[in-house]
Amino acid sequence: MTTESASRPSARTYLVVWVALVAIVVVEILLTYAHLSPGTQLAALLSLALVEAGIALAYFMHLRYERTVLFWSLIPGLVFALLMLDQIWPDALRLITLRHGP
Amino acid sequence: MTHAASTLEPSPFGIQSKKLAIWLFIMADAATFGAILFAYGYLRIGTPDWSRPFALTPTILNAALMTLVLLSSSVTMLLAVSAAQSGRTAVGVRWLGVTALLGTVFAALHLREWFAMFHGGWSVSHNPMNGPAQFGATFFGITGLHLLHVITGVAAILVIAAGFRRGRFTAGHVETTGLYWHFVDLVWMFVFPMVYLMNAR
Repeated sequence: MTTESASRPSARTYLVVWVALVAIVVVEILLTYAHLSPGTQLAALLSLALVEAGIALAYFMHLRYERTVLFWSLIPGLVFALLMLDQIWPDALRLITLRHGP
Repeated sequence: MTHAASTLEPSPFGIQSKKLAIWLFIMADAATFGAILFAYGYLRIGTPDWSRPFALTPTILNAALMTLVLLSSSVTMLLAVSAAQSGRTAVGVRWLGVTALLGTVFAALHLREWFAMFHGGWSVSHNPMNGPAQFGATFFGITGLHLLHVITGVAAILVIAAGFRRGRFTAGHVETTGLYWHFVDLVWMFVFPMVYLMNAR
């Protein structure tokens, strides 16, 4: 039995995606040793990880080739849940102030 | 069967129910990993003397090699799904075997690194650099949960491959297992930079 999705990417597309993901990993390692500030490094690495995740979702997990309703039924809820977790950052930053003083 | 097929509504998502189920599991699991990565971030930011123990060699290069192995295993899994969907059972089973092998290599590299850290005095409650003990708890907790997913994935791939070869499982089962495997790869895309690269010295 085959699945319902009609069009699928070719092996060549998978290879191009693999090369792109490996290239992003190399950039991440180079950025790690580029003497950036921790905040800049975190922002850069997190941004690249999100790009990687987007590519993996779209091409490896075929979300790009599924009906749009599947994307809208799954991803916004997860993003909302993760955004709600962002409530903790002010408290984490407050801990630094408590340890070192204002 | 024909009667049921004519009376049941088609899926609004246009996919098999098993595929929808694995997507729902993936979303729940993503929230779990999200929560533990946020908890790690909370400790990491709130602890000024956080340890950065990982040298380029061997740890960062080993983790980069693990990343390469896992990314490659996603491609071999895609080739397995593609072969299964086009009816090439033997080819599909072969690619599933390669995927399981790569997953095993990833786990072996990971465990080798863990044991080297144990040998260096690291544990979930001890930091040999005299830094916060939470480092070990978060590092082994996050990477351990991911490793558990990898080992579970390898076991699932082997079971599905054996069943697919005998005709007990369909291409839909192979695809569903593939979605889980790609998710394991996707989680590592966050674990590698957040847990390894941010702790490189």
